Amino acid sequence: MKQGDTRRSLLLAIPVFALLVWTVAYPNVAVIAGSFENGLGHWREFIASPADREALSTSIIISLASVVASLAIGVPLAFLLSRFDFPGRRILRAVATLPAALPPLVGVIAFLFLYGESGVVTRAIQRLFNMPEAPWRLTGVPAIIFVHAYTMYVYVYLFVSAGLERFDTTLDEAASGLGASGWQRLRYVTLPLLTPALAGSMLLVFMTSLGSFSAPYVFGGGIRVLATQIVSSKLNGSLGLAYVETTVLALSAVAGLALFRWLERKRKYTSSGKGSATRRVIRSRRAQIAAAVLATITVIVLVLPHLMVILVSFAVDGQWTTQVMPPAYTLDNYRRLFSEAELWRPIMNSLSMAVIATAANLIVCFVAAYLIVLRKFSGRRTLEVLVALPWAIPATAIALGLAATFNRNDLLSARVLLVGTFWILPLAYFVRGIPLVSTAIEGSLRQLDPALEDAARGLGGSWWLTMRKVVLPAARPGLVAGGLLAAVTAVGEFVAGVVLYTHANRPISMEILAQLRALAFGTASAYSVLLILLVLLMTLTARSFEERMA
Amino acid sequence: MKRALALTALALGLLSCSSDKRTVLTVYSPHGPELLGSLEKSFEKAHPDIDVQWVDMGSQEVLDRIRAEKDNPQADVWFGAPAEAFDRATKEGLLEPYIPTWSNAVAVEGRDAGDHWYGTYLTPEVIAYNTQVVRREDAPKDWDEVLDPKWKGKVLIRDPIASGTMRAIFGAIVARSVTQTGSPEAGYEWLRKLDANTREYVLNPTILYQKIGRQEGVITLWDMPDIATLKQRFNISVDYIIPSSGTPLLVDGIAIVKGTKHPKEAKMYYEFVTTPEAMRDAAVNHLRIPARTDIPQADLPQWIRDAYSKIKPMPVDRKMMAGHLDEWMRYWDANIRNSRRGK
Repeated sequence: MKQGDTRRSLLLAIPVFALLVWTVAYPNVAVIAGSFENGLGHWREFIASPADREALSTSIIISLASVVASLAIGVPLAFLLSRFDFPGRRILRAVATLPAALPPLVGVIAFLFLYGESGVVTRAIQRLFNMPEAPWRLTGVPAIIFVHAYTMYVYVYLFVSAGLERFDTTLDEAASGLGASGWQRLRYVTLPLLTPALAGSMLLVFMTSLGSFSAPYVFGGGIRVLATQIVSSKLNGSLGLAYVETTVLALSAVAGLALFRWLERKRKYTSSGKGSATRRVIRSRRAQIAAAVLATITVIVLVLPHLMVILVSFAVDGQWTTQVMPPAYTLDNYRRLFSEAELWRPIMNSLSMAVIATAANLIVCFVAAYLIVLRKFSGRRTLEVLVALPWAIPATAIALGLAATFNRNDLLSARVLLVGTFWILPLAYFVRGIPLVSTAIEGSLRQLDPALEDAARGLGGSWWLTMRKVVLPAARPGLVAGGLLAAVTAVGEFVAGVVLYTHANRPISMEILAQLRALAFGTASAYSVLLILLVLLMTLTARSFEERMA
Repeated sequence: MKRALALTALALGLLSCSSDKRTVLTVYSPHGPELLGSLEKSFEKAHPDIDVQWVDMGSQEVLDRIRAEKDNPQADVWFGAPAEAFDRATKEGLLEPYIPTWSNAVAVEGRDAGDHWYGTYLTPEVIAYNTQVVRREDAPKDWDEVLDPKWKGKVLIRDPIASGTMRAIFGAIVARSVTQTGSPEAGYEWLRKLDANTREYVLNPTILYQKIGRQEGVITLWDMPDIATLKQRFNISVDYIIPSSGTPLLVDGIAIVKGTKHPKEAKMYYEFVTTPEAMRDAAVNHLRIPARTDIPQADLPQWIRDAYSKIKPMPVDRKMMAGHLDEWMRYWDANIRNSRRGK
């Protein structure tokens, strides 16, 4: 490596380090410091409060149960779709990731309309069997786990499918040839090889459930979880207690991280060579019919929430009371949206904030990933931790940290006043996007042979030329995928929005919430439909961009 | 990277084209898009150089916001919250005193002694019921009747921690116990019995309205103007009963935020939304009960005149409330919530 290169990486490293420490690490320090502002007083209050203890244990139970439920749906689905061929397979594959495209608040509302005590499915079953009362109630812990499983199995499905794609089925056949039973093959061949995919997706589900806010917010009813308890404490004027709760939530997340990482390390096998998967065609007539029926039901269940939101967006507000389906329909909800300029503002806000945050993510995370993967320098481990940190910290905690840090101008403590301005939300989106974008770019860069970069430099290419012609093209798939993920998350973001929005940056999710407050379910659903379309449009744009470049 | 820069520039462009030359007046308010939107239109028509921007959120959230933004106030006017929230904000030094031109037209209970806030609307708390399931003669006539075991599992309660309305009702019950017995224990026992009858603590008003309208529960405690709105505007089958022994009569107020950058415009808005005409319009079109006493009864809709004659305001010691409400609510949250519910 040339002398100049070392200096240049240092030159790149220092600002990125400073920025990450300031926006990622520092707010957490501020929260922890805030929890001790009263000595141990707030901690004692936390420990003494049965409500908080309940919130902590419920949070953890829900998160673990969500992991189990997501595995139960995601793993069989991934196996079914990558190992077997049956009628309906292609449609099922196409809609299998659909739940992930449902923004958090929208998904919860759709579930309420469908499976709530007076929802369409519930009422239909009640009518069908002439029951005096609704067959179930969508409240409490089971309801939250149900919603989590529906939206989060996608992570498991995606990770495991990817793992199976790379999986060499000849290994399985070899084991079979050696006389291993189906169970033995699963236990000793398939599962060990899938461990990284399983651990990774379990971690993601655990983290997302722990920080999940909208499901407990809407279905919580009587129960408490830490994410909602934080907001409730803050509203009740006990900011110190909110800081303690935030710290505890973050600590639980870190414990989860350690647990799943340990699981992942315990078993590490790699299969050499490229995966060659063969799909078994289901031949028996009876099995074919069963598979087709099952696939149809699954597709319907997966698509229903989207259909429900679309349906309600055409319903006349206030008309739908005890009927199974909304009785009257109109185009007014959309007409209002397109005729009142004020109603367009949230859409423009969300879009521009997502673009700003994602652009910043792409630049900063590209530099960070470049330093982590291709440069060997002493701060590498620290940089890796900094970049992964927002992943381990639930969104409520991130938002509270930002609110505690950027609330005044104070040069000495490096605080800038952003609370109450437009910029606080793009900053929150930026922080939440860091791990997503970095991981994606790192993945792409790891496939680049470091020798290539050295070779380019050795052949006399300038640093900048090498960057442009070698490193950037290698990073491109990661930049596109990570950027898309970050932008999609930002557009539908709800949790940080609740804590940090102002009039100037009012995002779509807050507008949906405001419309719900005003009982305008139709308008809220119309917004949700636009949000889903927006996500779809972004995905298609990214995909076509990627195809054009490839 | 060039693309990213171009996109950023585009985003900034999008942002800047929305700004104009008018003075921006920011109003934090829980009054809802309908009332706020109509006031915005008429105010901007009268003052074309001012752009009113309202942020619609729960009253407890407004307090939290204004507290968080203390060092850099974003709001100019705080329009709407129970007096208790304003008292608390006054105590924390978040409000700017202002004496409106109509200060004499409000009862002493309807204003702050130091002029930090004045009452705009009155919000009586009521017992609401679903009219398709419960006949009027069977509905609870007074607070204590809601505790009757026949309502077990049929009462919906909005989660009281985040709700000014519910805090006022719970607070009044505990305060009544303190004045009568010297201790909050009887009040807590009352709330335990309510907990036993409660089907669910609903986390926001919208879902509460939906659930009561769709018969997931048949009784709730809520405020009169909102129930009247549900009944008259949204055709939801609910009605209310004014509790016979008396009810907390919340005063909903207005205040100027301390440190506002537009004090002149803030005062203009303050006055504009509280003229007799604005009050009448709010009463007729948005079902608000005016706090100003100088509005001729004949100008007001029948249901408000009825309410004036039937409501017996429950005497509430606001000082005691301001000093203890948080503590009572914390006790309720930690020890009473779910202690008997569903058991």
